[in-house]
Order: sequence, then C-alpha cells, then structure tokens
Amino acid sequence: MNWPHKDLIGIADLAAGEIETILDMTPSFKEISQRDIKKVPTLRGKTVVLLFYEASTRTRLSFEIAAKRLSADTVAISQSGSSFEKGETMLDAAKNIMAMNPDCIVIRYPYAGTVARLARIMPCSVLNAGDGFHEHPTQALLDMYSMREHFGTLTGLHVVMVGDIRHSRVARSNAYGLTKMGARVTLVAPQTLLPPGVASWGVEVSTAFDPVIPSADVIMMLRVQKERIAEHLFSGDREYASFYGLNQQRMQRMKKHAVIMHPGPMNRGVEINHDTADSPRAIILNQVENGVAIRMTLLYLCLGGSNVD
Amino acid sequence: MTTQTLNPREIQTLLRKLVRGLTQRFTRWDDVVFIGIRSGGEYIARHLVRLLEAKTGASLPLGVLDIALYRDDLSKRLYPEVRPTEIPFDVSNKIVILVDDVINTGRTVRAAIEHIIDLGRPRRIYLLTLFDRGGRELPIQPDFVGRVVGLTPDKVLKILIPEDETALGEVLISEVKR
Repeated sequence: MNWPHKDLIGIADLAAGEIETILDMTPSFKEISQRDIKKVPTLRGKTVVLLFYEASTRTRLSFEIAAKRLSADTVAISQSGSSFEKGETMLDAAKNIMAMNPDCIVIRYPYAGTVARLARIMPCSVLNAGDGFHEHPTQALLDMYSMREHFGTLTGLHVVMVGDIRHSRVARSNAYGLTKMGARVTLVAPQTLLPPGVASWGVEVSTAFDPVIPSADVIMMLRVQKERIAEHLFSGDREYASFYGLNQQRMQRMKKHAVIMHPGPMNRGVEINHDTADSPRAIILNQVENGVAIRMTLLYLCLGGSNVD
Repeated sequence: MTTQTLNPREIQTLLRKLVRGLTQRFTRWDDVVFIGIRSGGEYIARHLVRLLEAKTGASLPLGVLDIALYRDDLSKRLYPEVRPTEIPFDVSNKIVILVDDVINTGRTVRAAIEHIIDLGRPRRIYLLTLFDRGGRELPIQPDFVGRVVGLTPDKVLKILIPEDETALGEVLISEVKR
C-alpha cells in the first residue's frame, strides 16, 4: 500500500477510497489506547510540533496523546508566550521551526488557506488542525469513524448538522466527507448562518429544524458562538435555543436508533441542553475517544513510511 | 526457474512432528497459550492448535498478533497495512508459544516479542516455526521447527493459503524472487 499524501489539509483533497483506508485502519490504533501499556514504538525518533494560533483543548491534547502513543516526541507551542506575540509572521516562524528539522507540524490557524500555503513550502508533513472557516479534517474523520462504528456503514445514513454552518469548518469538512461516502446530509441554520455557495456542496439545506428531525440517523449540533449575536446574525441565546436547540421534546421525535453528536466545546442551554447532551443517545465522548485513534492513523500514514515510492 | 513443491500431506507430516515435540515438552496445558503472527503464522497456528486439541483434549487459547507498528524498517518500505491485534486473553504469567510460518532474519520475531511484552509479562515465550530458512540477522532461534531448509536470499519460500483456510495448502520453494 502507498499513501500518496505528505500533508492533510482538507477532506476535499481525499478520495472516497482514501477515507475508507483511514477508517479501516483506525481500529488497530484504537486497540492500543485500551492496553495497559498505551504505547507502540512506530514513530520513535520522529518530532511532531504542535502549533496552535487559536484556543484549543481537545484537538491539541488529542494530537499530542496520539503522537506520544506512537512514541514520537512532541513540542507544543501556543500563541501566548511565544514569539508570535512579538509580531513575528507565520511564515518566518515556520521557517525557523523548519530549521530545527521536525518531521511533522500540526497547525491551527485563524485564517483559511494559510496551512495549505505552509504545506507547499515545508518539506515536512503538515496536518491541518483547523484553519479559519475552511476545514478541520481530523474532526470530520473522527466524526465519520464514530458514525460508521455505530451504524456499520455511512452509505445511506441521513446526517443532519444544525447550527452556525457559515462559520463552521467542522460542518464543511463533514459535508465534503459524508457526501463522498454516500451519506445524505442536511444542513440546518437560520438564513444568516448559512454560507454563500452552499448550493454547490451537494447537500440539502433547511432553515427549519423540526421537519427534518424524524428522518435523521445522526443529529450533529454545532457550537453557536455568542460573538455572532453582536454581529446581529441572530437575536439571542433563548430565541436561538427555541428554534434550533436540541431539547427533550425534539429528542423524543428522533428515530429510535438515532444518535446525537457534538464536536465540542458545547454551549449548554444554547444549541444543546443537559437532557440531550447527557442522554444515552449522545455519542459525544465516543467522538473524543475516537479522535485519538484517528489522529494516530493519520500520523502513521503521513510519517510512517517513505514517500518516495 | 525451478520450483520445488511440498504437498498438503507433507505439510501435515511436519505439523504432526511439531505436535509430537510439543507434547513431549508439555504435560500440562493450563498456562499454555498460542499466538500466531499475522498472516502466515496465524494460519499455521490454527492448524497446529486444532491438531493439538484433538490429541490432548485440552482447550488451547489462540491469539493473533499484527506487528506492523513494531517493525524496524518502516522508513525503508511502503506502508504495511495495519490490522488489529486480537489476543482474547491476558498473557501475564502464561507460557506463550509464538508461531510463525517461516523464520528468516529474525526481525519479525524480535518485533513480535516486543509487542507481546507490551501486552503483559509472560512467564516464558517459546518460538515455533514451520520452516527455518536460515539467514539470521539477530540472535534469535526457534525452539520447535518443522523443517530446516537452508535457502539463499534470492530464493522464495511461499506457503499458499487456500481459499478455505481450514484446508492445508501447498508450499512452493522457487529459485527466483518474485
């Protein structure tokens, strides 16, 4: 087998067969996290730099644990306390990091496209941990893995994503991936939170949540950022919750086997509440567990072998 | 290209010889577990365990090890496909019979031992292989061997696993590498 990609920038760059390869390989890596000794020597001697220009707990920790379980050395740099605060540009910072010869850089950056630009000039692997409103590919892969683990397949699943689609890289990456894998995707949001050009994504769009609930196999709630209220994109938490929040009444209208997902962090009381976030239908913590395994798979594929053949 | 073939009956004879060796060494089977290295070792281990169970009446645990993540040549080759390790028992304090189809450099066995030790601390690990083709690069020797065939590196020894894995396949020994 040959993995043709040095980097992972977005789901848009992956073929359906490649997504399938990643999902098929992941149980082997998940098994490692269930052992007493949660470590294999696979990436011994490799250096992974985690470069986070935006707040992150889950993704950063997940990447770091994944790298460590494969025996890679990790160094994490966040914006505060680093030279970025002194006004160094991303490009200069990257060149300096490159001079220390790491094997992989995991980057989160607030602007779309920067990660792809860096990947073009960097000889090492670059993994996108979220770039602006563009993509968050490892999140989409762990979401697809969690769905496939639960339902056995992605083909024919009806996945409904609800929330701030316009500013969500999670929704974009999932929409690209799920449609490639043969799932039916419906995006639900108020008109102001739908992205321009959504018609070209190959998905269904609805401004009303209630009508799509009974046919959904997966309902994925997306975090609504309160700062969007200041931009007048919706008028308030409570109004948003009443139209688009997942509450007990809405949960009761879901199919018997349907599950609730959320990429985190959750705004309890806005897009989701205690009844639904903590219900047995929620597979939110499975998503987190699977995140480590998915990131181990990607580190293995991008760093594990030679890319010359 | 000349090819030498061993038919399934000859393989069966080798397996019976290994079974005799094991029953001479072990009288109690309570703590003995078998672990086959994917995929040739798994196939041989299944046949071996079936024969042993028929002979001894004991029920013998069998696990499968995937060593892809423990290889020492990752950066020199294409990515080996990784499949899950399936060991449905605790190896701690057990007598492990590690099974592979062929031993050559010994590097696969080194990786397998490292993997087993990550899962627990066995009392002892024995190594059983159907063939020993020589060419060792590490100080590792099997405790039980079906047949020693000294082969130069340009020769291929291949065990053909039939579609029905409960049947025994043929063994090809050919002069030229694929």
